[in-house]
Amino acid sequence: MFSLKSFLLASCATALMSSAAWAADPIKIGVIAEAQAVAGSSIAPAAQLAAEEINAKGGVDGRKIEIVVYDNHSSSAESVRAFQRAVSEDKVNAVIASYISEVVLALEPWAGRLKTLMVTPGAASDVITQNIAKNYDQLKYTFHGYLTSTSLAGLVCDAAKDLLVEPYKMKTAVIMSEDAAWTTPLDAGYEKCLPEIGLKVVDHIRMSPDTTDFTPIFNKIEGLKPDVMITGISHVGTQPTVQWKSQQVPIPMFGISSQATNSTFWKDTNGAVEGVFYNAVSGPGVAVTPKTLPFVEAFQKKFGNFPSYAGYTSYDDVYMIADAIHRAGGTDPDKMVEAMEATDYVGTIGRIAFKPKGDPNPHALRTGKGYITGLMLQWQSGKQVNVWPKELAAGTITWPSFIKLKAASN
Amino acid sequence: MLFWQILIDGFAISALYALGATGFTLIFGVSGVLNLSHGAIMVGAAVAAWAAASEFGVGPYTGALIGILAGFILAFATYFIAVRPIQRSKAIAESEKEIFILTATLLWGIITQEAIAYLFTNNAKTVLPIVEGVTTVFGVRTPRNEYFTAVICWVAIGLLWFLVNRTRRGKSVMAASMNPRGVTLLGIELSSIYLTVWAIYGLLAGVAGILLGMFLGVSSYSVGPLTASAFSIVVLGGLGSVSGSLIAAYVVGYLETGTAYLISPAYRTIPALLLLVVVMYLRPQGLFGRR
Amino acid sequence: MPNFVTSRLFWIGALTVIVALVLPTYVSGYVLGLLTVAYYTAVFAMSWDLLFGFAGEVNFGPTFLIGVGAYTAGILDAHFSPGLSIWLCIAAGALAAVVGGVVLALPALRVSGPYFGLTTLVAVLMLQNFIVVAAGLTGGEIGLAVPDVISIDAKTNYWIALGFMLVSGAILFGLSRSAIGLILQASGQDKIQAGALGFNVTKHKLAAFVVSAFFSGLAGALMVFYMGTASVSTFVDVGVGVQIIIAAVLGGRRTVIGAAIGAIFLIGMGELLRPLGELATLIVSVIALVVILFFPDGFLGIIRGGAKA
Repeated sequence: MFSLKSFLLASCATALMSSAAWAADPIKIGVIAEAQAVAGSSIAPAAQLAAEEINAKGGVDGRKIEIVVYDNHSSSAESVRAFQRAVSEDKVNAVIASYISEVVLALEPWAGRLKTLMVTPGAASDVITQNIAKNYDQLKYTFHGYLTSTSLAGLVCDAAKDLLVEPYKMKTAVIMSEDAAWTTPLDAGYEKCLPEIGLKVVDHIRMSPDTTDFTPIFNKIEGLKPDVMITGISHVGTQPTVQWKSQQVPIPMFGISSQATNSTFWKDTNGAVEGVFYNAVSGPGVAVTPKTLPFVEAFQKKFGNFPSYAGYTSYDDVYMIADAIHRAGGTDPDKMVEAMEATDYVGTIGRIAFKPKGDPNPHALRTGKGYITGLMLQWQSGKQVNVWPKELAAGTITWPSFIKLKAASN
Repeated sequence: MLFWQILIDGFAISALYALGATGFTLIFGVSGVLNLSHGAIMVGAAVAAWAAASEFGVGPYTGALIGILAGFILAFATYFIAVRPIQRSKAIAESEKEIFILTATLLWGIITQEAIAYLFTNNAKTVLPIVEGVTTVFGVRTPRNEYFTAVICWVAIGLLWFLVNRTRRGKSVMAASMNPRGVTLLGIELSSIYLTVWAIYGLLAGVAGILLGMFLGVSSYSVGPLTASAFSIVVLGGLGSVSGSLIAAYVVGYLETGTAYLISPAYRTIPALLLLVVVMYLRPQGLFGRR
Repeated sequence: MPNFVTSRLFWIGALTVIVALVLPTYVSGYVLGLLTVAYYTAVFAMSWDLLFGFAGEVNFGPTFLIGVGAYTAGILDAHFSPGLSIWLCIAAGALAAVVGGVVLALPALRVSGPYFGLTTLVAVLMLQNFIVVAAGLTGGEIGLAVPDVISIDAKTNYWIALGFMLVSGAILFGLSRSAIGLILQASGQDKIQAGALGFNVTKHKLAAFVVSAFFSGLAGALMVFYMGTASVSTFVDVGVGVQIIIAAVLGGRRTVIGAAIGAIFLIGMGELLRPLGELATLIVSVIALVVILFFPDGFLGIIRGGAKA
């Protein structure tokens, strides 16, 4: 009892010391992320960075933003526990959660049950927002701060049209994706949009995310002689990339490869990633908006590496939540949801607005002209170089030595 | 074409399985220990080789040597931390030592795995290959590294065979696996035999881990599956039978590769598991077990 | 002396139960949520201890039974909610686990030691493969979202878990101290002799599997409706099974109660060390290894050692 008392006194003293600067109690944002995974490891640092910047400018209406970090070890169960802890123990006002769709799908009902605003910076499954459409009143607390798989498929197709079909006259493709929540709508999207841009889908290979030996998969794909492999991989990354290079599979990999968005990927693969294309919403050196490059610079200065894709969105999410709380005039959850729905914010990834109630994907990001358009980057000599869209491109396509392709003369 | 593909790819992966399982079965044969930190030792060796090359910029050969050294150290650490104290403990009943060693080596494996994840994240890593490029045999284009893997595996297994059958030290190891008490009567210290066996095991597991890291890549997630696959192969072949393990490694390797090519990569491991269940029911001592 | 030990155990047990009963008045909902998970895990560990400690079967696959129970309950609810009461789903889960227990018992009656250990490990891997392949039904790697939960109130969940743990603990403990438990123990140590004494070893072992499976499955099913989700990484993964085994050995084998203490300790420590982030699992494993090496009889052994001194 005595120690409890002295502890309370001590914390009061700390509170008093800082209360000179801060008018009211802080706004707490919980971050539940995968500290050890390539894509997830940027989420918490990026949120921290955003909070520090906001606090340096006086916080939100005089309230300081505090980030509380939870490592979920990529597990749904640990995430549920962390979410409960965040809400009932640490009394957070909002949660930024995970890049894994499975985790977000497990947390979505809890955000509803505990009436706590939740934004995911990196999950992609369309089901997240479809659930909101089905049961809006209960699940309206969840916001999808990253592109849905269907939108991602559309962006990859747009890029493939400009980069592959037109200059190289490619005609056939094989879809290669991992078996996971986010790839089901992604593959459906690919199946629909690839033929529309003139790429015939000759086969569709889904592999287990536990796969370690990709030799049979690549040999099978090579036997089908497609012009390009369209990828949808996130849980796997290093192994298919390295084996693609060591087997010298003469077919480009193009599409979504979440691990390739991280700057350490070159080292992890011993440079095998040379020539791989991946979709992203932002990239190093690409000024998608005036905020992008200052963020990347600050992140690199502070943490020594470049953020993964979920780092950009996580950084934006903190600003959006802060903005929503400011507009809602406080942290009442229902008012925060209303304010979030009215978001119109230019972040590091583009202009962010959410689709409204009544849409088949409420609370999903708006995409396309005027909103988020996405990029296509390629790894070239250890650097991530943006090659699409043209107005933001920093270089042109190069091929690794084992891929012999020539652009049709035009 | 498909036939040759399965034959060549299956051969390399099976050779790797065989090398991994050989050390595992040797330890069991000589000291009755099922080392459940096996996967952690392999991954530890591979990650050490990767780290040496990518963090400190050494070449592939030096990297591989550092990796083997790491496998060696980890094997001895396993023996001295998780195995020997239990073997010598008076507080644990003889009949219960088995479960204690299983649990302790399992824990030691988890400790190693977590330490790797902490120091190097759990991203998959690939060891810088010693041999690069591809070569085409029977119309199948295969990375030279795959042939290299198979050759090294068999050279290592061959050396082991030579050691066990042609050297004095090896013969005493062999004798110990058949009759530990008899060997002590001959005046050979059993504990020095154990040390020899763990040293051989460390080398084998280290080499297997590095080859795996070059061929497929490893992450701290691979620890559990690697231990489980070595365990299955060894039981399928018959515990303690080295030749049984070699054959079982090829059966499992080809079943997996064949399934991946002919049916679907998603079902890769299932037929081998089914076979294992069938063998367990019909012939519990394994295909070539002595019991 | 045995009486003294038993009474000491009894008093410690009673004290623990009293603490557990008054806890909800003093601690936050989060601590209760944590203990809820710990209590279910305690039942997993006690069920495992019945099989290993008494029947002498090294079962690497406790999660096979848990997973069958959890997924059966979860799938039924996901497909028939709200037509089917969750209590029916839970009962069906327990029943399915019993069937799984009988299937697992069949090889156990033929093989032993590491061979049986491997069979149970394979059972887990098969279940895991099945869940991933039959993703349409089970949610696959993704995990299954279950529409209903027992309650979102932390206290209600706590009471259910505590009650369940106490009842199953009492039954499992009683069973282990009964004639059946003694026969099992005898057959675990020397199967032939126990048979020669005229005991039907097969029948008793089968019974042990059925009981262990029933409680594992029931606890798994209840936990699904606490979490609101079923995923391979929570209920089936070999790693989860390893945690259960470590809990039982850590607490003290052949005691049933020790298993529960070990489970609560593991979950509690994991949480206390959470600020250390990635190092938490490492430290917990080191503690467990040290206990196993230096105090082979686990926590209960330490307590008994104190009693002797």
